[in-house]
Amino acid sequence: MAETQYLYIMPDENDAKPLRVERPAAERSVLLKNLLGDLGAESGNSEISPIPIKGINTTILTKVMEWCQHHSADPPASNDDDADSRKKTTEIDEWDQKFMNVDQEMLFEIILAANYLDIKPLLDVGCKTVANMIKGKSPDEIRKTFNIQNDFTPEEEDQIRRENEWAEDR
Amino acid sequence: MVERQPRSQNRRLSNSQYASSASTSPERGPDDDNDSFMLQQNDSVSSLACSDFDELSDSMLREMEERCRLSPISRLPAELMIAIFQKLPKTSDLKNCMMVSREWARNSVGLLWHRPATGSWEAIHSVSQTLHNTQTTFDYDHLVKRLNLSSLGPHVSDGTLLPFRSCKRIERLTLTNCSKLTDFSVAKVIDGNRSLAALDVTGIDGITDITMDAVAQNCYRLQGLNITNCLRISNEKLEAIATSCRHLKRLKFNGCAQITDKSVIAFARNCRQLLEIDLADCRRLENDAVTALISEGMHLRELRLTHCQQISDTAFSNLPYGATYESLRILDLTGCVELQDAGVHRIIEAAPRLRNLVLAKCRQITDRAITAITKLGKSLHFIHLGHCARITDAGVIQLVRLCNRIRYIDLACCTNLTDHSVTQLATLPKLKRIGLVKCGNITDVSIYALSKPRQPGMQPVSPGSGTPSSLERVHLSYCINLTLDGITSLLNNCPRLSHLSLTGVQEFLRDDLLHFCRPAPREFTEHQRNFFCVFSGNNVARLKEYLLEQQENAQNIDPDLQATQFGGPTMLIPPPPAVSGPLPQPTHIPPPPPAPPAPPALPIHQNMGNLAILPMGQPGSTLVPGLRQNSLPRLRIPPARELGPNGTPPSMSPTNDAPLSVDEGEEFIDFPEIEPAPQPDREGGRSIQRRRSIR
Repeated sequence: MAETQYLYIMPDENDAKPLRVERPAAERSVLLKNLLGDLGAESGNSEISPIPIKGINTTILTKVMEWCQHHSADPPASNDDDADSRKKTTEIDEWDQKFMNVDQEMLFEIILAANYLDIKPLLDVGCKTVANMIKGKSPDEIRKTFNIQNDFTPEEEDQIRRENEWAEDR
Repeated sequence: MVERQPRSQNRRLSNSQYASSASTSPERGPDDDNDSFMLQQNDSVSSLACSDFDELSDSMLREMEERCRLSPISRLPAELMIAIFQKLPKTSDLKNCMMVSREWARNSVGLLWHRPATGSWEAIHSVSQTLHNTQTTFDYDHLVKRLNLSSLGPHVSDGTLLPFRSCKRIERLTLTNCSKLTDFSVAKVIDGNRSLAALDVTGIDGITDITMDAVAQNCYRLQGLNITNCLRISNEKLEAIATSCRHLKRLKFNGCAQITDKSVIAFARNCRQLLEIDLADCRRLENDAVTALISEGMHLRELRLTHCQQISDTAFSNLPYGATYESLRILDLTGCVELQDAGVHRIIEAAPRLRNLVLAKCRQITDRAITAITKLGKSLHFIHLGHCARITDAGVIQLVRLCNRIRYIDLACCTNLTDHSVTQLATLPKLKRIGLVKCGNITDVSIYALSKPRQPGMQPVSPGSGTPSSLERVHLSYCINLTLDGITSLLNNCPRLSHLSLTGVQEFLRDDLLHFCRPAPREFTEHQRNFFCVFSGNNVARLKEYLLEQQENAQNIDPDLQATQFGGPTMLIPPPPAVSGPLPQPTHIPPPPPAPPAPPALPIHQNMGNLAILPMGQPGSTLVPGLRQNSLPRLRIPPARELGPNGTPPSMSPTNDAPLSVDEGEEFIDFPEIEPAPQPDREGGRSIQRRRSIR
């Protein structure tokens, strides 16, 4: 095996310091992977200047790269993955569960970052985590969980309830 | 990097509760037009408003920021909210999401109505009610993409389906066995639908050319059509569909006895993307259609011609000489009784990458066809040769040597086969399923061979090496010579075994063993039930445990018997309780000096004679039956026989000429989980009696 290659990414924050990441970890991000490909950054070319990542601050970027590092050796996503993700499963592996055990602000920033950086498995875990927070809750409990305002008029609410009555547990 | 920027800004914008993504449908085709059911601006419109953006932005941004601070989930754009909702397993959860807020409702409604619940009358009634209303919150009609009424089957009437006629964006319409339906509702639902991709009207006798006309007129995007057992559809209308629905990929016309070459050839010529076609029981189908399907269908992957009895060698010999069809992987010619060795030879030449080949009941084929099949080599995974009774050990042995990736093989009623064949089959490293129903010659020798660990390279297995057998499903019904010993060995050495059929095998017709048998199918007669013996699922493991217990019990009784022999105190030992694990040895009995203590690894073997328990990892050399194997007569593999003067194979041997009248429906069937129905034994001579109990 060749020596581990590193590259630097720059969070979007005043006075941010570049983060050093292992290349295989960074390449969990399809965005970065394609970018590195476009730059012709072949093996051995370690002279890439830090890549600015817009809209993601140091805390979130560090957190996301922690996930990428942990999962850098995962087998590449196969074509079956699409079919699998359509299966409505909300199982999350243990490490990821711990990783996602953060406050809501952080959780949604991770999801946004995963979406932007195109890290599908991380996005998946994030969505599952939120889905698990929704599962089995009443509308009111959901509103409380996420601090959402109910902007329906009582009539509207009643109408939607009637129109979707069939969707009670099958 | 730079080009991603605008998108991230859009995302922020779409947090505004007045903007929303147009993409609420979870599976939008690339060419779908917008689901503009909310009559609101989509992203492209909001980007036009850029000039106002700066002025608006200050107050809006502040409001947005405040909202995001209070409710962090508001940061997620519609597409990510939809991604989250997609993970919810229950419709009730989706419904609760709809009730949360307007924005949540907009983002979840598409998923909820994508496939409305139709599993119960209550649900259908409620869905219909909503569709019927004109003043609804959302344009639900256009959100329905899948409609499946098959679970209510024969109870569905035109009145059930009609409320869905306003749903013009249904992509999958599944009406399997809704036998009361007619054109009246089905044609109305299809009329005006340009989105339909798959239509299944299996078993609806009331479907005629009227519905098919609606399909031909509207459904240009149709990819799958299943009209199984719809006998009132004409060839002319099918031709019309073939000309207008050129994206068709999957066709299933089972049992459509009215279908002729004309319409099938039209599909072959017009639908160039055809992947799968199933023409089982299209009995009027002739050779030209088959030749056209293969020669025109460059993508054709699967061709099923079960019981198309008019198909003969000509269908394949008419293929352009030298052309090969590499896409063809699955070919089913079950019951194409005219097929002969020369036809099989041409098939293999033309389709060198066949993976599944079903030649069951192609009774004329001989070892010569098998020789041709061996050219498939590693491609061949699945082969069904049931009732090809002229096949001999020589053919099977050749097949195994050259096609060693076979995972599934069926040789039911190949009555010439002996332990030689099965011993060879047992070396297949990936074998998962083997069907040997009514291979009456085989004995425990075969079963011991199947029990052995696999060794790469087919070397003789050395003790303690090799990987355990990969067998999962074993069909041995009516292999009447089999005994408990052989099957016990199979159970103990095939850790993945999940199906074992032993219908009509005398040794297993005991109440204590049948206790683990699964219930006989309802339609079986009392007589058939008496012979039914199939173990599946967990019951395979339970049967194995039970047999182990039996042996342990027997082992515990043994010292007593010996004590009696040696004149010790004769004690009545009550039958040991049925528990697993070692039982305490009786201490009052003097150890029998002359008999050497059994080696701990194989105590049962010692005590039980030939009742072989083969613990994993040390089979082979100590295998008692392995010795028997050497007593097999030497086998000579004859060269492939030449065809007779007219291309016909040489006359059959007397055994082969014996009519196989009893076997209809008795062969091993794997697709539906149906076991061969035991029949009264009409093969003469052997009488099988159900034993009522053992003690």
